[in-house]
Amino acid sequence: MDIRSQISMVFHLDKCIGCHTCSIACKNIWTDRKGTEYMWWNNVETKPGTGFPTRWEDQDKYKGGWELVDGELKLKSTSKSKTITNIFHNPTMPTMDDYYEPWSYKYKDLFDAPAGDDQPTAKPISMVTGDYMDIEAGPNWDDDLSGSPIYAENDINLDVLSDEQRDQLFAIERLMMFYFPRICNHCVNPSCVASCPSGALYKRGEDGIVLLDQERCRAWRSCISACPYKKTYYNWNTGKSEKCILCFPRIETGQAPACFHSCVGRIRYLGVLLYDADKIEETAKHPDHELVDAQREMILDPFDENVIREAKKNGISESTLKAAQESPVYKFVKEWGIALPPHVEYRTLPMLFYVPPMLPVMSAQEGDSVRSINEEYFPDFDKARVPIKYLASMFGGGNESHLRYVLKKQSAIRAYRRALTVGDIDVLEAEKALVEADCNPEEADKIYKLTSLCTFEDRFVIPPSHREEAIEMMKDPLEHKQEVGFGFNDSPERGM
Amino acid sequence: MKNKYKILIPFVFLISGVVCQDVDQFFKQNCSSCHTIGGGRLTGPDLKNVHERKDDEWLKKFINDPVAIINSGDAYARQILDESRGIMMPKVGGLTPFIVQSLLDLIKEESAKEKSKYSGSSLADRVLTPEDIIIGRALFLGTTVLKNNGPSCIGCHSIFGEGQLGGGLLGPNLTDVYGRLGGKTALAAWLSSPASETMGPIYGKHPIDEKEVLPLVAFFKEKGKSNISEAGMHDFNFLIFGFVGLAIVLILFDLFWGNRLRSVRRKLVKGKAL
Repeated sequence: MDIRSQISMVFHLDKCIGCHTCSIACKNIWTDRKGTEYMWWNNVETKPGTGFPTRWEDQDKYKGGWELVDGELKLKSTSKSKTITNIFHNPTMPTMDDYYEPWSYKYKDLFDAPAGDDQPTAKPISMVTGDYMDIEAGPNWDDDLSGSPIYAENDINLDVLSDEQRDQLFAIERLMMFYFPRICNHCVNPSCVASCPSGALYKRGEDGIVLLDQERCRAWRSCISACPYKKTYYNWNTGKSEKCILCFPRIETGQAPACFHSCVGRIRYLGVLLYDADKIEETAKHPDHELVDAQREMILDPFDENVIREAKKNGISESTLKAAQESPVYKFVKEWGIALPPHVEYRTLPMLFYVPPMLPVMSAQEGDSVRSINEEYFPDFDKARVPIKYLASMFGGGNESHLRYVLKKQSAIRAYRRALTVGDIDVLEAEKALVEADCNPEEADKIYKLTSLCTFEDRFVIPPSHREEAIEMMKDPLEHKQEVGFGFNDSPERGM
Repeated sequence: MKNKYKILIPFVFLISGVVCQDVDQFFKQNCSSCHTIGGGRLTGPDLKNVHERKDDEWLKKFINDPVAIINSGDAYARQILDESRGIMMPKVGGLTPFIVQSLLDLIKEESAKEKSKYSGSSLADRVLTPEDIIIGRALFLGTTVLKNNGPSCIGCHSIFGEGQLGGGLLGPNLTDVYGRLGGKTALAAWLSSPASETMGPIYGKHPIDEKEVLPLVAFFKEKGKSNISEAGMHDFNFLIFGFVGLAIVLILFDLFWGNRLRSVRRKLVKGKAL
């Protein structure tokens, strides 16, 4: 066993209201520099939709992630031979149009325009070329379905649905959408790190944050192709790639990352997971539908004596282990099993997990009126507005059973809470439903509390970073002991 | 005072001994390809008793920069040029006033002898055979490597009828070199130690072997008979070659990088009402 600790995340999609506060918080801190205008280390997508960059989930085009070839994990985008043939040009990168051309407006015209019959307008100017431009796309162009079906229709996760299901999905009264906030997943098996010819990307030993060394980056842009989530970006100004750093300066000082901190819906949870690094390759080699289980298997129980002993042997500190035991992420992912990794079939083993949303059909349009069509609040999931297949394509590696499990548990807990608080459902019935959903009243209470009544401390359990110990790896802290002080290191001597 | 200079005497002998050998070598490498002493003219005139024809000062100036003297319109220099069928003596590299003086001394000394060691080699005495032409052609094209690893001729020279794209363009076309240099003896002498600024340094270290000289001469003689310039044809071939090469490069580019990702979003929304 080679136990590592990883700062991991859970996003609770049922709570996301799609306000983009997280994106703005991130942008204001990290990506408001020249060359980073188009970058959104954090972005929020509307599903169904094509996301940012457009159709990033289409790996036939973008070639991100790993694939299993004859039992071996291979990068889809590159290899040693492809590195040579593509040495002058990396062929599978999103174009600027697939992201969007960042723009501003020429506000000065509003003040300087000569008097005329029409109101002056501020024309859009490209922030790349400085020329006037027509705005064709933006970072959240299909936000809230954008009034156009084109983007939503082209969501690649809809490919698993039958034509009939698709038609139903897009019938206006059944139209559904939910939000999908995304940051770097800080994967355990990161394809961006594997692809970098310069070795600029690395996964930080102490907390698993994936970082991109700005000194070593040589603009190969292999990571941009290789990351299936398209979460590394190329800065055209500095000629280096950049990515989400999980606000490590904040983490190191015990603060939650900016996007977590600012989240209005409090959908974000952050905590430590312990995993067995010896099992990474084996885990990533499982067939698609077993991947979720395999990844859970790789994540270890922080209360297990054996795990604690092995972890200490690996230099994981007591305080980190304590954080791992209190980690909300561990509870969501492993204890309760209701948080699932996004697109686990890319085999990067993402360490950001999502609690999938429940979208029951509540009513239907009849002529001019809307009629409630469901007496039960939490009905059969096969009738839910969002087809379970669709969710399974996003969060289950195509395996519907995980989604069924999660949704059933969540719905049972809600019914149970309704029985307790409103009382129009029989408590015994509700408890029976809980048991059927592999839950019990105590667990239901815990889930309810961490979902609805969670405090800052509940949501973000950040271990002390122990920088004072980390520095010992690079430098002897006693190096200058018994020397004279600041500025000079030689002792003064007697005499002239 | 006198004693002071006496000390230098052994050094003077020592230096002059070294210089003698050097000048010998220098003459062989730089002069003998065009000149003999008492062996009749090659490309350039026989140098026997040259000091009787012109004074030392003129000779020194001429050796130092023949091109300048010829261009200055000096009557005697023009006459030599005409006799050499317009082939100008190149400026010789590595000359110092001391070497020039030594060269003149050497010529004077050798002129006095009845049979100078620079009266021309007997290399060219053999009769040329048809086999020589074949061997010479192989040497010219480089299919047979020169014995002392000198570069083959085609690297820098073109000749009528050889090579699809002609040869190199650095040196002159050699189709009529046999006639230009004045025949077998002169050409053989030139090949034995090519003295031009370009060829000198290269073939000084890797001289053409004695046995290789005559086959080359035979080859040049054979080529000299054709007497047609093919330069235009080569230019055309080169153009075609350029186009074909460009096409191949583009095809290769397309094979390697043809299926790159061009655009995803634009294709998605193209032709659809938004």
